[in-house]
Amino acid sequence: MNLLRFPFSLALFLALLSPVSSVNAKSPAPSAAAGTPQQTASVGALPNKDGSFKFIVFGDFGTGASIQYQLAEQMAKLHEKFKFDTAILVGDNLYGSERPQDFQQKFEIPYKPLLDAGVKFYASLGNHDAREQRFYKLFNMDGKLYYTYSPKSNVKFFFLESTYMEPEQVKWVEKELKAANNDWKIAVFHHPLYSSAKYHGSEVRLREVLEPIFVENNVSLVFTGHDHVYERLKPQNDIQYFVTGSGGKLRSGDINRGSGLTASGFDTDLAFLAGEIIDDEMYFTAISRSGQVVDSGVVRRRQAKP
Amino acid sequence: MVLKLNGLIAGFGLMVAIAAPAWSADKLKDPPPTSSTPVTAPPTERVVGPLSPADAAALATMNDRLKEYIDLHNKIKGTLPALPKNSTPEQIDKRQRQFENLMRQARATAKQGDLFTPEARPVIKRLLANVFSGPDGRQLKAAIFDFDDKNPGKIALTVNGRYPDTVPLSNVPPQVLQTLPKLTADLEYRFIGDNLILLDTDAHIVADFIEDTIPR
Repeated sequence: MNLLRFPFSLALFLALLSPVSSVNAKSPAPSAAAGTPQQTASVGALPNKDGSFKFIVFGDFGTGASIQYQLAEQMAKLHEKFKFDTAILVGDNLYGSERPQDFQQKFEIPYKPLLDAGVKFYASLGNHDAREQRFYKLFNMDGKLYYTYSPKSNVKFFFLESTYMEPEQVKWVEKELKAANNDWKIAVFHHPLYSSAKYHGSEVRLREVLEPIFVENNVSLVFTGHDHVYERLKPQNDIQYFVTGSGGKLRSGDINRGSGLTASGFDTDLAFLAGEIIDDEMYFTAISRSGQVVDSGVVRRRQAKP
Repeated sequence: MVLKLNGLIAGFGLMVAIAAPAWSADKLKDPPPTSSTPVTAPPTERVVGPLSPADAAALATMNDRLKEYIDLHNKIKGTLPALPKNSTPEQIDKRQRQFENLMRQARATAKQGDLFTPEARPVIKRLLANVFSGPDGRQLKAAIFDFDDKNPGKIALTVNGRYPDTVPLSNVPPQVLQTLPKLTADLEYRFIGDNLILLDTDAHIVADFIEDTIPR
């Protein structure tokens, strides 16, 4: 099914099946649009407003297999109507060998339509990724394992390297977050602090280190991967976590529905997330390999402490 | 008198920050014993175990070896063109394999134990055993033994061998890194199976390793 012909009412229905349960988030009911800008040509639950920050997020993709290419086609289809200019990668960008031909088959060819359209990819590294990827021009990491990227004055991403969280990196992210005055502080890294997947699940020890820093410094969103599913967690300490690790690999049926953590999960096919930030809200839609909207909603950013 | 590892290494910028002669007890007045570290301390400030002067001296035997290694690494690095921040895959691959070959040639006679010295190995194994047998041990092991995709199983490690392309990098949780002597940026601790390796991240080679470091 072509997403762009997907009835908004059905997207809304799907979203209402799994409403965001936090005060930070709400389902994309029409009332949610109160006070929001004019929509030019909405795409599903995404307002698609001129001048907004539009992006996609996915990870665990670099296999070169046909299913990765098929999901990439859905990204390209979305881009025809929803002109995102940024792709956020949560790691495991290349599985197996990393020869030049691998960069082509596992990244450059499947995402060629996006690359040709000027979409810039910003990568974090996963446990399958060689450190040298930080020098790869199309990952825009500036030669760094951890770095920041600010696409708009009110939005800043903090990319971390979660396989090797040395004290220096912890100090770095704390300092960077503290110094940032952006409305939206968004952390991106590979290993999920919260995940209901049975295969890996939550990285509790990493959570001990990072979560207090995120809470203290007003991080609103955290994008991770590693578990090969899509999951939107119930907000934890006012922070909205997403697991977007089914960009090219899938662990079918891996979400433990009894974890109590899941706000919405999708583990029967690959998926990616598309987001749009307008002022204090981020509209999001998760789209499967067949073009189905499998989750959507709105997240309201955290407000800085007075 | 006990020495606290983490507090000491912070002042050293290079490699294993342990130099036995300099670590005299006189310079380290009454460090708090590990047992008094409050459980509410931030995880990054937890210490795993006190080091006796003998253990500190044993770990210090790695100092010179690692310095020699890094000197060699940097010398070879200086002969290769620096990777630009916007490299192509071809540039990355070419340089990495050149680095790998040059390091291997320069260390043609290297053998296990050259860096993880015989004196240091039992201390490191004991430090790790303390971590993994502690209250966080099960979760730490779970984080390391990720079993992502395929359990690598038994892999024959060799000094100077290329890190296997098909084996994902293990996590090294912050609590474990806190336990181990600090390294420079070009070397990392990683686990392959039960083995702790020193990974040269530029050359992609296993610089040294210790077997059976994670108790089951």
